[in-house]
Amino acid sequence: MRILVIEDDGKVASFIQTGLEQEGYAVDVLNHGNTAGEQARAVDYDAVVLDLMLPGRSGFQVLRDIRSRKPSLPVIMLTAKNSLDERVAGLDAGADDYMAKPFALAELSARLRALLRRGTPRESVLKVADLEMDTIRRTVRRAGASIDLKPKEYALLEFLMRNSDRPLTRSLIIEHVWDIHFDSISNVVEVHINSLRNKVDRGFPIQLIHTVRGVGYMLTDSAP
Amino acid sequence: MTLTLRARLAVIATLVSGLLLGGLSVVSYNVLARWLDEDVTARLTELTDGLHGYLRFDSGAPSVEYNANDSDQASFVHEATRYYQIYDSTTGQLLAQSPDIAPLGLSLTRGEIALLLASSLPSDITTPYGRLRIVNSPIAGPNGRTYLLQVGVSLRTLDASLSRYRDLLLMLTPLSLLLAAAGAWWLSGYALGPLTRLAFAARGIDIATLERRLPTRGVKDELEDVTVAFNETLGRLEQSIGEMRQFSTALAHELRTPLAALRGEIELALRAARDADLQQSLASQIEDIDRLTRLIEHVLTLARAESGQIPLKFSAVNLGDMATSIVEQLEPVANARAITLRCDTAPAVVAKGDAGWLERLVLNLLDNAMKFTPEGGCVVVRVSGDDGRASLEVADTGIGMTPDVAAHVFERFYQADPSRSSASGGAGLGLSLVKWIVDRHHGTVIVDSTPGKGSTFRVRLPAFTQVPRS
Repeated sequence: MRILVIEDDGKVASFIQTGLEQEGYAVDVLNHGNTAGEQARAVDYDAVVLDLMLPGRSGFQVLRDIRSRKPSLPVIMLTAKNSLDERVAGLDAGADDYMAKPFALAELSARLRALLRRGTPRESVLKVADLEMDTIRRTVRRAGASIDLKPKEYALLEFLMRNSDRPLTRSLIIEHVWDIHFDSISNVVEVHINSLRNKVDRGFPIQLIHTVRGVGYMLTDSAP
Repeated sequence: MTLTLRARLAVIATLVSGLLLGGLSVVSYNVLARWLDEDVTARLTELTDGLHGYLRFDSGAPSVEYNANDSDQASFVHEATRYYQIYDSTTGQLLAQSPDIAPLGLSLTRGEIALLLASSLPSDITTPYGRLRIVNSPIAGPNGRTYLLQVGVSLRTLDASLSRYRDLLLMLTPLSLLLAAAGAWWLSGYALGPLTRLAFAARGIDIATLERRLPTRGVKDELEDVTVAFNETLGRLEQSIGEMRQFSTALAHELRTPLAALRGEIELALRAARDADLQQSLASQIEDIDRLTRLIEHVLTLARAESGQIPLKFSAVNLGDMATSIVEQLEPVANARAITLRCDTAPAVVAKGDAGWLERLVLNLLDNAMKFTPEGGCVVVRVSGDDGRASLEVADTGIGMTPDVAAHVFERFYQADPSRSSASGGAGLGLSLVKWIVDRHHGTVIVDSTPGKGSTFRVRLPAFTQVPRS
């Protein structure tokens, strides 16, 4: 998987590169948008991470450049602005996703994964170790024993299981599981994670739901 | 006590009118009295002089002789002899007296007669029948004797007229003064009207509508001057506020990129860290950065909100459903803190508002309520509707506030207890955002609070009224 990162700030570009390389991606960095179009056409990238505020040409122009050459190349936009209009403008201009700085590296890679996986059919039965979820019957079992979950707990567990072995940030979880913008308001994620732990992990020797320090939560059967 | 400019103008105008009216009354009364007095004295002199011609002293005793067939003479003599008496100045003897003067007891001694002969000035005497003006004149008799003639005129009519005139003035002056006061009040209101309208228009301009200007009328006068000066001030204010906003927006943006680099590098370091203490310290740094990010986010939102850069999309919002849904989703959070969270909603309370911002409003109020409610407490959301308004109440059994704190609670960065800010994670911006949202919805928000008992925030919003489709 090859990613093109277009970011003028050297430090930001550098940690994105390092972080994504650690996760096994090949990363090229451009610190301006002037040759982004040619670069995108010349190299067969799987996704682009594009900063909106670039010297010379704005991210929107660069995005149009890329789109004119590679219409289906997934693009995640980064911006130091975070307002709804900007977000709409970014998505309208053809970006596939949008992230405000500062962001968690884990969130960037989760969003990248989601984009790269797009189009592949979603499995109807999810399985992590002895935890099993049937998304058609909406049933959950651990070691064969049925677990009764409330709707939000179920949605949270499904999101964790679909992204198992990957750390997920709180904002990512809120965005996918809740329809209300709780963002910084309350510890709604922590509370649900706790009740989920009580129902899924309590009494089992192997804990599946882990807290990842500085990031968020992760569902995995191999202890980090 | 300070009066309004209008009242002061009216009072001054009324005082001036009062002085003028009072002065006019006093002067006119006195002039009239003087004129009437002069007329009476002139008539009295006329009567005395005339009477001289009709007096005869043939047989020692004086007599009045005239042609009784001449009606002019008859009426003149009748008038002149109404009040008269004649004394012999040598003997002091009363020689003649009209019947009307007799009961008044005006008998004179010889000394008095001599004095009166010397001064012929009219004198007024008061009698039980009203005032009488008497003029004294000497008459030289045929035998070298001198007589004193006293002729009087009743001043009753004059006094009655004057007293009626005085009564009229006493009635008319206060009445006129009352009318003058009413007129002055109206006039000052009329004169200050444009100023009041100016103030009304100026009051409609706030930080979000600084681009507005007061209407000018194109007339060259003092008010136009004030309007133009005010508009110029607004222009300068708009410019400097604009610069300040650009600065705060730019600052927030400039902060984000280094924060992103910082956060990313710490996250990378955290991935590589194997030491538990190091992990702990790096994770806590990331939490700090996230808190800083939220703060910047809030400041930016408020700055954008207040500068009117956030357009609201108004539609029908079912406040009850929204509150119920939020409460349901927050219930586990409340339960985890052993707080009872409940929602009482009347059916079909529909507000006119922006769903996203109203959601933020309810969330911020609930967040605030739960933050200050101890374990075992209770937070209740009530939604109700009445005559064109939708009401939302968030009541808690928390620590409450003193009136002093409650008065400041909607101010930006206000923290009743600064030591709590880091513990509860807030920066004192949540409620100022609530206030902003309510203002933009043309609603009201008030807070009732008792220290130790809890607080109740009451939000009232315009209800959504169905516009009939044509």
